[in-house]
Amino acid sequence: MTIQSLDPRVTRAAIPQENETEMAPIPPLDQLESYEVFHLETRGDHPVHVGSLHAPNPEIALLWAKEQYGRRSRTVSIWVVRTEDISVISVEDADIFATTPEKDYREAKGYRVGGKITAYKRQNTTEP
Amino acid sequence: MNDTAALRDLLLRMADDELIIAHRNSEWTGLGPIMEEDIAFSSIAQDKLGHSLGLYRILESLGGAEPDAVAFGRSEGEFRCCQLVEYPIGGYDFSLMRHFLHDTAELLRYEMLERSSFEPLARLATKIKGEIKYHLFHANTWIAQLGARGSEESHARMQSALNEVFPLALGIFEPSDYETELAAEGIFPGEAALRGKWLETIAVTLEKGTLILPSLDAVTPAYGGRKGYHTEHLKPLLDEMTEVFRIDPSAEW
Amino acid sequence: MYGNLSVIDAQPLDPNQVDDPELLAEFEARIARGEKIEPHDWMPREYRRQLIRMIEQHAHSEIIGALPEGTWITRAPGFRRKMALIAKVQDEIGHGQLLYSAAETLGKSREDMIADLISGKSKYSNVFNYPAETWADTAVIAWLIDAGAIINQVANSKGSYGPYCRALERICQEESFHLKYGYDNVVTLATGTPKQREMVQEALNRWWKPIMHFHGPPDTVSVHTEKLTRWKVKMASNDEMRQEFLNAYVPKIWDLGLTVPDPNLRKNPETGVWEFSDPDWAEFKRVINGDGPCNRERLAVRRMAEEQGRWVREALRKPDMKYVTPLS
Repeated sequence: MTIQSLDPRVTRAAIPQENETEMAPIPPLDQLESYEVFHLETRGDHPVHVGSLHAPNPEIALLWAKEQYGRRSRTVSIWVVRTEDISVISVEDADIFATTPEKDYREAKGYRVGGKITAYKRQNTTEP
Repeated sequence: MNDTAALRDLLLRMADDELIIAHRNSEWTGLGPIMEEDIAFSSIAQDKLGHSLGLYRILESLGGAEPDAVAFGRSEGEFRCCQLVEYPIGGYDFSLMRHFLHDTAELLRYEMLERSSFEPLARLATKIKGEIKYHLFHANTWIAQLGARGSEESHARMQSALNEVFPLALGIFEPSDYETELAAEGIFPGEAALRGKWLETIAVTLEKGTLILPSLDAVTPAYGGRKGYHTEHLKPLLDEMTEVFRIDPSAEW
Repeated sequence: MYGNLSVIDAQPLDPNQVDDPELLAEFEARIARGEKIEPHDWMPREYRRQLIRMIEQHAHSEIIGALPEGTWITRAPGFRRKMALIAKVQDEIGHGQLLYSAAETLGKSREDMIADLISGKSKYSNVFNYPAETWADTAVIAWLIDAGAIINQVANSKGSYGPYCRALERICQEESFHLKYGYDNVVTLATGTPKQREMVQEALNRWWKPIMHFHGPPDTVSVHTEKLTRWKVKMASNDEMRQEFLNAYVPKIWDLGLTVPDPNLRKNPETGVWEFSDPDWAEFKRVINGDGPCNRERLAVRRMAEEQGRWVREALRKPDMKYVTPLS
């Protein structure tokens, strides 16, 4: 006896009513590689990371990323990269980015010449 | 255009092929072998429905009924699809091989039609070019992967699927009664020309997959579909597809 | 699509192993500041475990949820419905993919999760154990089940775990198509021929109970979730979500002249709270424990899909392939 379903596709699949046997265990290597996916909406944009997927190689990763991440929104390009090949400074270590206020020598706001000019002009106009 | 019979026949063959293969491919939706692949193959089914809708709309503009009535309201004998597209989905090997052989022919056909003197068809061909390009990227990648880069089992399965599907696929090119008119009027160069290109093109991909094409002399093309003679699979497919629609064909669903 | 499953809590952790109090305090302070937790952050074991359980169940609900609607995929009437239904079921698989990825970042592989689904070890939303008997059932599912799911998912998208929130944001965008598609479908049937109207009313009658179950048991009997609320794992109470759903959708149902099979359903004009009959929580429990109309079939179908696809997956694997968890 096979499952008679409301779904004709399931009926056609002829699945046994009672599965006497346990499903064969999934082999340890059943997982493919992980890929990270980047999406480019318009020419000139930065590619934006949008998620990940499983694939056996970059070509198939692109094949699948195109539909999983590009089917809905406007897309001109998709990048994929093996997750393993990405090096990361973890958010845990965000403190290494903390910049102290003394770094104003490399900020625009650290350079103010208005005072000097005013002082110079004042000095030069008081002298006859 | 005074001979619309020729044009109608061409459009109907193409539209029915697209509709029925889309229907078959959509049977995998939600049940595919890998989630990412499930998504990709579902998109392809949707695209093909879109193509058939576009073709039925052109038929409508030539005085036919509206697309839903044509797709959901005809009996089996009125369909002009090739028998290839009617067969049940089988395993993923059968479905992929059918997809590859069908879509290669589809791509080449639309490439020819981009230069068709019948403008609506030329416009449609240009419009759906990108979609078909993806379908072929998909099909070719799978042939190479499961043929040459896969396992022994996958290679054997794909070879046996090829042996099974090849004669059916030759049915795509069943000559029509209108070949001369269509070629003379610059609408479509003809099934024989298409078949020649197709054989050259599939050979390249099959070689990448280390799969061997059966000899042409050894197979009998599955003809009949273009004249309304179908396999035993089409009627149940149509009964199923139109089950809800037939509750009330005049209703809006 | 997703329902609330907090009723089936996992086994408690070994009480002898406790989290470092300093790290815990830091973790809780981060969440209190409204910051997200990312995969490589330190997190309490209980937080990781509950999140895996929740996201995994959500992912299972998506791929099992593809089955009731998939029942009608080969029979959708007309081009537009046919294309839309394929697209919708496809989205459910897509959502499953995104959610499994989010759960993977916590250290459980997708294959392990799917194995646990098929073996019955891990659960999915109860509603999908009910059959879609007619075309109209797919309309009711797409409208009202997805509506319920959106309420849940919008709440959860403001939770604390970064990868889950990001997946949900993407999912919610797509769900808005589902909701509109479902509503359009229901309205078309309700305003169509007498037969169509009858079909949609019957479908609504069939689905009302599962819909009332959708957001989980009442808060009074639901397990204690104070900590999960503080950790922003559980973002809204079952009763709150159910009230939000009733408030938004019952008027729309009545507006179509359709009825709800509960004579006691009404909004109390004084309290503003929706009142309804007991939706049979005993049945809810029975179904969640495996004894619903479609439990066996749903798992058997998933198992069939896994087994049939195995040769394909094996043909994609290479011995030197190394699985690493997705980054985010």
